[in-house]
Amino acid sequence: MPTAPRIDLLDPAEVARLGGIEIVAAGVVEGFLAGIHRSPFRGFSVEFTEHRAYQPGDELRYLDWRILARADRLFVKQFEEETNLRAMILVDASRSMAWRGAASRLTKRAYADRLAAALALILLRQRDATGLITFDEAVREVVPARVRTGQWTRLVRGLVATPDGAGTTAETALRHVTSLLVRRGLVVFISDLLFDRGLALTALRYLRHRGHQVTVLHLMDPAEAELSGPPEVRLRDPESAASAVVRPRELARAYGETVRREIAAWRTACRRHGIAYHHVLTDLPFGMALRLLA
Amino acid sequence: MTFLHPLALVGLATAAIPALLHLLERRVPPEAMFPPLRYLSEAERRSARRLKLRHLLLLLLRTALIALIVLAAARPLLPARGGSAVVHPPTALALILDNSPSSGVVVDGRPVLDRLRSLARGSLERATTSDRLWLVLADGVTRGGTREALLATVDSVGVTARRLDLTAAVRDAARLVDAEPLGAREVHVVSDLQRTALGPGRAGAPRGVRVLALAPPAQAAANRGIGAARVADGAVAVSVVGTPGSGAAAVTVRMRGRDVGRALGAPGSAVSITLPRLGPGWWMGEATLDADELRADDRRPFAWRVAPPAAVTTLAGAGPFVAAAIAVLEQGQRARPGGEVVIGDRPEAGASVSVVLPPADPALLGQVNRALAARGARWRLGAAGTPGPLAAPAVPGVTGIQITRRYRLEASGAMTHGGRADSSVIATVNGDPWLVRDAATLLLGSRLDTAWTALPAAPGFVPFVDALVNHLARDEASVSEADGLPRVEFRTRGADTVGATVFGLDPRESDLTPAPPALARDVLGAELVDDVGFAAARFAGGAYADASGALLALALLLAAVELGVATVTR
Repeated sequence: MPTAPRIDLLDPAEVARLGGIEIVAAGVVEGFLAGIHRSPFRGFSVEFTEHRAYQPGDELRYLDWRILARADRLFVKQFEEETNLRAMILVDASRSMAWRGAASRLTKRAYADRLAAALALILLRQRDATGLITFDEAVREVVPARVRTGQWTRLVRGLVATPDGAGTTAETALRHVTSLLVRRGLVVFISDLLFDRGLALTALRYLRHRGHQVTVLHLMDPAEAELSGPPEVRLRDPESAASAVVRPRELARAYGETVRREIAAWRTACRRHGIAYHHVLTDLPFGMALRLLA
Repeated sequence: MTFLHPLALVGLATAAIPALLHLLERRVPPEAMFPPLRYLSEAERRSARRLKLRHLLLLLLRTALIALIVLAAARPLLPARGGSAVVHPPTALALILDNSPSSGVVVDGRPVLDRLRSLARGSLERATTSDRLWLVLADGVTRGGTREALLATVDSVGVTARRLDLTAAVRDAARLVDAEPLGAREVHVVSDLQRTALGPGRAGAPRGVRVLALAPPAQAAANRGIGAARVADGAVAVSVVGTPGSGAAAVTVRMRGRDVGRALGAPGSAVSITLPRLGPGWWMGEATLDADELRADDRRPFAWRVAPPAAVTTLAGAGPFVAAAIAVLEQGQRARPGGEVVIGDRPEAGASVSVVLPPADPALLGQVNRALAARGARWRLGAAGTPGPLAAPAVPGVTGIQITRRYRLEASGAMTHGGRADSSVIATVNGDPWLVRDAATLLLGSRLDTAWTALPAAPGFVPFVDALVNHLARDEASVSEADGLPRVEFRTRGADTVGATVFGLDPRESDLTPAPPALARDVLGAELVDDVGFAAARFAGGAYADASGALLALALLLAAVELGVATVTR
C-alpha cells in the first residue's frame, strides 16, 4: 500500500501552493507530528527527563548538585513539561524579508509566516500558551500568548495582517517584546538578521537574562548564501538607498566567505549567551526546520 | 631592429583600447534588489586590494597582448647569425648578370656563366614577396618581375654576343632602385669583372644604394680571339686580340670551306693573309683560331666586294689633286678612262654619275645650282660655311681632316619636306652636310684643293677618291661591322647586293684580364666579395630573423596568463 508523502518534508514552495497559511501549516503539522510520538518541546516541569550541559542563564535551582559534587561538572536537569508553556513567536516583517532569489522559491517572509503558523499550531495542540509579535521598525502586530480556542486563527490573522515593512530596527521591537513577556517562556525569533548584530544580541541577551529560552531562526534565501548573476549588476538594498555595482563572478568567493563568517559569528555569539541558533535556507522543508526546534 | 611591414605599427594605437574601455565605459548595468548588501560591502572591502591588483594586471596583460599582436603583424626583424628563418627588410634589388661573351670562358672545366648563374639564383632565391626585383643582362634590358619569373629567366640565360658596359649598367640600376621607397636598396653585380667591362667614368651610385659585386678572379685566363678581319688590296688583315701575355696561335683563313692561308698571331698583333684573285662580286671568308677556353671569339667572318675599276673622266674644273689621284688609281687598275663617272666643277650632262665640286669662282655658283636642278638633284650649294673637321664614318681614313673653306649644302624644298631613299648625307662638317649623294649626283661642299681642305695632302686622299668613284658613285656602301653572333648579312636593293654587315664579338670581350679590385671599387662604388662572402653579404648582410613567431608565442603565453588571471583569481 503506497504511503502518502509527508507534506512537512516537501519543497516549501510546492507546499505553499496547496493553499493558505492555515492549510499549509495544518498539513505540515500533521506530517510532522506523525513522525514523532510525544511533545517535542521541553520546558521546566516536575517530571525529570534528562540532563544537559549547563549554559549561562540557566537557573541555578535546576543545577544537578550531585553530579557537580561527584564529577565537578555543571549539568542542569530537564523536565517533561506538563503544564502550559508560554511561547512567543517573533516574526521579522521588514522589507528585506519580502525578497526571494528565484520565482520558484518562497520569500523569506512567506516562509517565516508558514513556519510560525505551523510552530504555533503544534504548541497550541500541546496546550501551550502561544503568542505572536511581528515587527519591522516597530512592533506591528501583537497577539498575546493564550491557549484558548481560536488562538491559532488569531495568530494566523496577525501574520496575514502584517504588511511588509520598511526597515529593521530589531532592538526596538525586541525591547518592546521584553516588556510584553512578563512570564518566562520560549521565545522563537524568526528573522533574516540583516541588522546590527551587536544591538540585536543585546536585546536577545536581555531576554535570556530574564530567563526566557530563546531560539533564533536565521532565515536566508539560497541566493543570499552564494553570489551569482550577470557579469555586472547594480545591487540595491531594498531597505535603504544603498547600492553597489559588482561583478558577481569576481566577488563570489569573497562573498561566500563573508556569509559563512557572518553565520559563524551569529552561532558563536548566540552559543556564548545560551541562545539556540539555527541557520535555515528557505528551500529547507518545513518539517526539517521544525525538527531543528525540537 | 627593423620591420617588414612598418605601416602595421599604426595598429599599436589599438593597444590603448583596453585602457580607453576601462576609462570611458558608460555601460549601465542591470539593477537588482539584494538585501544582504552589507555582506557584499564587507566582501568588497576585504577583496578591494586583490581586485584592484587583478584589474591592473588584466589591463596590463590585455594591453601587452594587443601590442604584441600588432608588433608581430609588423614582422620585426632582428639581427641574426643565420639559419633557415633568416629574412631581410624589404629591398629594391637590381641584379646584374653579366652573360657577355667573356662569361663563356671555361675555367676548371666549368663555364664561368654557370657559376655566375648560380650566384644570381642565390640572390633571387633569398628575395621575398616584399622585395622589388629587376634583372639586367648583357643586352642592357632591365627586366622587372617576380622572383619566380626572374629565376626562370636566369635559368634560361645563355652566353650572349653583346658586351656589357658594367659602369653604365650599375649606374642605371642604382638609379632604378634608388627610386623605390623601400627599406633597403641593393645592386648585385654578378660578373667576371674583366677590366674591359668597366666603361668610362664612374657608376656613382646614390647614397643609400649598396652595390655588391663579385670579386674578380685573381688570375687572368689565357685567351686569344679574332678582333677584326677586313679585306683590303687583295689581302685580309686579321687583328688578334685577347689576354695580354697569351702566346701566339695560328690564324687560318678559309673560303668556301677551304683554307686559303695561315699565319701566326699573338694578342695585340695583326696578320695579313693574301687572298686568291677573284672575279667581280661579293665574297665571304672566315678567319679562325685554334680552339681555346673561350670559343666564341675564335672565329670571325668577313665579306668584301670585288668590283671592276670605274670608268672615270676628270674635267679641268676638278683641279690638279683630283686628276693626280685618278692617275694613281688608273696606274693601280682601280680606275680606267671612261664616262661612267665624271668629276668636275659642274654636273656633266649624259654622265652616268656626276661628281660635282664647288666652282673656284663664286660667281658660278648660280650656274652650277641651276645645272644641278636641271639634272634633277635636290641639293644645291648655299652660303659659305664655317671651317671644321670632317666626319665621314662611311669613308675610312678621312674623319677628322680639317676643312677650312666650304659651302653649305642646302636641300631643296622637296627634300626638306620629305627626302627620298636614294638621297643621303655621306660626310658632314660641324654637322652640316659636306658630301651628299642624290640619285646620280655626288655633291661636295669643298673643292679638293689644299686651299679648301687638308684632305689632298692627307694619306687618305687617294683611298677617298677611290671610294668616291668606285663605291660612293656607284652607291655601294662599304662593308659595315656590328656586334653580334659571327655572321654576314648582305643588304640588297632590288636584285642587286649593295652592302654587307659583318657581325662579330666586341674585341674587348677577348681580353680576360680581371679588373684590379681597387679600380672596380672606385669605378663601380662596390663592395667586392668572393662567392662565399657574396652569399653572406647580400640583402644588407641578410642576417635578420623574423621575430613575429616569437612574439606570437609570447602573445599566446600572455593570453593563457590572462585567461588564468581572469578565471582563477575570481
